[in-house]
Amino acid sequence: MNNETASKETILEIRDLKVNIKTDEGTLTAVRGVNLTIKKGETLGLVGESGCGKSLTSKAILGINDKKCKAEGEIIFDAENLGRVNLLSLNPRGKEIRSVRGKQISMIFQEPMVAFSPMYTIGNQINEATLLHITRDKKKAREISLDVMKKVGIANAEKRYDQYPHEFSGGMLQRALIAMALVCSPRLLIADEPTTALDVTIQAQILELMKSLQKDFGMSILFITHDLGTVARMCDRVAVMYLGRIVESAPAVEIYKNPQHPYTRGLIGSVHKIGTKAQERLFSSEGTVPLALNLPAGCGFYDRCSRRIDGVCNVYDPQLVDIGQEHQIACFACTGCPYGKGGKEEKANE
Amino acid sequence: MSKGDQILDVRNIHMRFNSKGICVRAVTDVSFPVYEGETIGVVGESGCGKTTLGRCIVRAYEPSEGSVMYTTSEGEIIDFLKIDKQTMKKYRKEIQMIFQDPYSSLDPRMTVLDIIKEPLLANFPRMPKAEMERKVMDIAARVGLNTAYLKRYPHAFSGGQRQRIGIARALVLNPRIIVCDEAVSALDVSIQAQVINLLHDLQKEFGLTYLFISHDLSVVEYISDRVGVMYLGKMVEFAPTKNLFEHPMHPYTESLLSAVPVADPTVQNERIPLTGEIPNPANPPSGCHFHTRCRYCTERCSQEVPAYREMEPGHYVACHRAEELKLKGFSYE
Repeated sequence: MNNETASKETILEIRDLKVNIKTDEGTLTAVRGVNLTIKKGETLGLVGESGCGKSLTSKAILGINDKKCKAEGEIIFDAENLGRVNLLSLNPRGKEIRSVRGKQISMIFQEPMVAFSPMYTIGNQINEATLLHITRDKKKAREISLDVMKKVGIANAEKRYDQYPHEFSGGMLQRALIAMALVCSPRLLIADEPTTALDVTIQAQILELMKSLQKDFGMSILFITHDLGTVARMCDRVAVMYLGRIVESAPAVEIYKNPQHPYTRGLIGSVHKIGTKAQERLFSSEGTVPLALNLPAGCGFYDRCSRRIDGVCNVYDPQLVDIGQEHQIACFACTGCPYGKGGKEEKANE
Repeated sequence: MSKGDQILDVRNIHMRFNSKGICVRAVTDVSFPVYEGETIGVVGESGCGKTTLGRCIVRAYEPSEGSVMYTTSEGEIIDFLKIDKQTMKKYRKEIQMIFQDPYSSLDPRMTVLDIIKEPLLANFPRMPKAEMERKVMDIAARVGLNTAYLKRYPHAFSGGQRQRIGIARALVLNPRIIVCDEAVSALDVSIQAQVINLLHDLQKEFGLTYLFISHDLSVVEYISDRVGVMYLGKMVEFAPTKNLFEHPMHPYTESLLSAVPVADPTVQNERIPLTGEIPNPANPPSGCHFHTRCRYCTERCSQEVPAYREMEPGHYVACHRAEELKLKGFSYE
């Protein structure tokens, strides 16, 4: 992927991103070196369980993490006005990042009920971005906002414009949130669990809406979720995250058909695939995700892994290795260890 | 799964909430039998009345009408909703509940030991302390809690562990029936799998009967023997799991199934769109409640309430056109 044409298509590149959080017990490294690329027009799914750092990663892109969180590394964004720029090097309160945040990169948050202020009308809140980035003319802004509200399927937009969030249902509110994110036609949309709080039928509507809007606007989407079903429906590529690291990344079809990392396999095995004969037991990894505080050396999944190799996995840190077309994994048991003791035999046994 | 004897017979449950002169019919005329050792799944969108139904059955709410005939372990049949408080106390411990949110359903100021012990204190106040603690220890160990940590408070436990505490609390009284209200919805998938496996094992071990209320169709399909689909307070379809998922007979079930995201990108099920949103239950549509969103709707649907009838053995549906419609479900390979 290092050739020039590929890098031209890349809209966002995250290199070795670390996010440290200061706590009373010491520094917690919640994101421990994430590498990601998002290309133009594609949807990348970032999958992982709660606490794996997926939301922190996405918030680091916009520089909206809590003050206690410190991000290191590089987040290179192909901005319209600034060219390729490292977002982390910008002043988080400066003019440059403001021209990116909300305009070129925007975000849909998890809970629509919480994301809106109850004190202002929906129209007012959608207008905020319009007035900041597009026009100062309030009448024009209203027109633009109404237009987007219609595009996301809010019926009776003129009336809805002057209503307050409590007058909206969950699904409608999520549509309004999407309208707010799309009003400036962003190049990259970050969707942080956009459908988790919704019913399946509404969820399907919203996902389809996002897909069709993606086609119209030609934007890229970073889709963050823990739901493997929506990932299968939405994403072109999937990156699986565990304990602040990407452990596997591959095209969506590949990751379901041919998962390699033991964690990915566990994750897929732990979900019953509807419409198929039920397996006797669901697969479940032992234990829970450890706290990213004073982590021991080696692979973060070591304690829970069924294929761990003593003397390798708890000593060395696995890095992402290419194992196929756009398929990368970080696991010694699958790829063998470059530092000596190999894991190849283990694979043959399976 | 082999069916045991009938343990519960839910008959014509109605639940109406009145507030400010508005009557909300949360549950309307729901009936189904429950057999010992089976798992009944109840699915539906939020606001369809599935939680209210669960709470009516354990008598956390007093239903407006209807009865829940309960076959006691001695073989006696009683109406769970009509018995007085004293008798109620005797039987309440046989029907327990596991709640949705493992964060708000545990008292933060009680130790885990006390939380699990509380039902024993309430029901067997004269039980010796040592025996009580032994029981708590046993059950805690059984659900996979580390008994060394029982003196800790709930905040020290993760979501999955907390849900185990909730399960232990429900199990400590040796119930026969457990109503699980969205018991795994708040958990991460891998933890969800652990808890589902645990529920499965416990069912085998203690011969438990579950009423599993959830909006997650994949989980319900996995765990249930029979499934009921609710829409706007009514049971619109009720059938053995495989029948329901393979040959749904109600258009609502069909749309619901087609909306489920399947964890496999090569399966792109054609979605049958549901337009609009759930109508206001205080003012439900006339005739068939679903007719405003149904793509097979006819004149008759908007005027006449469809009868809830048995189409195939064990397969109940409330739709005027159930006989003629061929609806799409999942094809099991």
